[in-house]
Amino acid sequence: MREFSKRMALLAIFVCLCMSAWAQKKTELRVAAASDMHPVLDIVGPMFEQKTGIHLVVSYGASATLSHQIIAGSPVDIFFSADYVFAERVVAADLADSQNAIPYAKGALVLWVRKPVKASLDLLHRKDLKTLAIANPDTAPYGRAAVFALKKMKLYDALSPRFVQAENIMQAAQFAESGNAQIGLISQTIAESGKFKAEGTYVLFPLYAYPEIRQCAVVMKNSPHRDEAHKLLDFILSEQIQDNLGKVGLRRVQ
Amino acid sequence: METDALILTLRLALTTTALLLVIAIPLAGWLALGRTRWRYVVEAVVALPLVLPPTVLGFYLLVGLGPLTAVGRAITHLLGHTLAFSFTGLVVGSMVYSLPFAVQPMVAGLRAVDQSYLDAAATLGAVPRRVFARVALPLAKGSMLAAAVLTFMHTVGEFGVVLMLGGNIPGKTRTISIAIFDAVENFDYASANRASLLILVLSTIALLVVYARSMFVTARRRDE
Repeated sequence: MREFSKRMALLAIFVCLCMSAWAQKKTELRVAAASDMHPVLDIVGPMFEQKTGIHLVVSYGASATLSHQIIAGSPVDIFFSADYVFAERVVAADLADSQNAIPYAKGALVLWVRKPVKASLDLLHRKDLKTLAIANPDTAPYGRAAVFALKKMKLYDALSPRFVQAENIMQAAQFAESGNAQIGLISQTIAESGKFKAEGTYVLFPLYAYPEIRQCAVVMKNSPHRDEAHKLLDFILSEQIQDNLGKVGLRRVQ
Repeated sequence: METDALILTLRLALTTTALLLVIAIPLAGWLALGRTRWRYVVEAVVALPLVLPPTVLGFYLLVGLGPLTAVGRAITHLLGHTLAFSFTGLVVGSMVYSLPFAVQPMVAGLRAVDQSYLDAAATLGAVPRRVFARVALPLAKGSMLAAAVLTFMHTVGEFGVVLMLGGNIPGKTRTISIAIFDAVENFDYASANRASLLILVLSTIALLVVYARSMFVTARRRDE
């Protein structure tokens, strides 16, 4: 009997410890982010968590897909779009806590190819180019930029039959990385990330070939973690991060 | 736009069903009437696509049979293109994905055939293959129809494998499920609705035909 009550006491202590650990659990911020931000938030997320103790729970997807889910009621606190348009859609649906979408970085479109081939825009003129991965131009800003650039370079008509279209820029990159597509037109953020840097090479598209990819964010009006969401946005807009955006394949806003 | 996707979907489903029946009939015969002890292993493997997420299949077809592996290179060499992003690739994916829907109804049908008919045929000197082709199969033809219909419909309703493997190429790999997904993503509810209605109506009609037929066949048997 005595043994039993001792055990019960131990159990009670254990339960109390668990519950207090539960109570002290870190604040979680629910983030919806465009796929091109995947490698970026993999770096910035832990930095932010170390600084503030706020843990990021991120869902990635094509910007249009995410804006759509948010408008349909998906419970996120902050949305990082890869462009202006889809962030503005959330503003237009009266879900943002700001009058406008807030630019946080500028993106760049690149041509990525597996080693040993050396990346060059001349590859686009090659006759033996059979498959070219792009993201869906209707839903992914980088896909739209790719179509724009190819049209500007007068290559679109020749190349569009050879497109393989992915749902978002990460999948387009995967198509090229797995060797199923010969070339990927992807974001510089992905091309700069570890695996892609190790396995291939990339070359930038000339900036005049496509409209600026101005990546914008919105904080949700109804979020229970608005302050934390603004902390994250301020952190990304801080000099410390903006000065180093080049390392992850983005440009600073100003 | 939707009609292209619909025609492609029907073509994919027809091709898959036809090819799969060719494989499934002997396989089901062996599973239902064979005497090998290790049949259950094959039966378990055949049922795998029911359990596995389509992403597992998509992943292995895309990466495992992609140009970075030896098998994938051989396939690429044979076809002249990668398995991914091609109609052939979708057919292969659909055949694996729908395999249990072709095999299982037939196995059930063949197992329900009265053993005494088969024994009688064997006593009269028919070799097992002949017993299967001339006695068992005709008696189980209802289950073959069920298998064909299920396979066809399951392929029409496929999404995950196509999304991972297809590359969304109009007229080649852009099936109706992908077209609907794209339309919704693009806030184009009008065309999403057109395509959805189309597939909803067609599926309802197809299922009504199947169930009506099975009901009338049962009723007729009872009358006889």
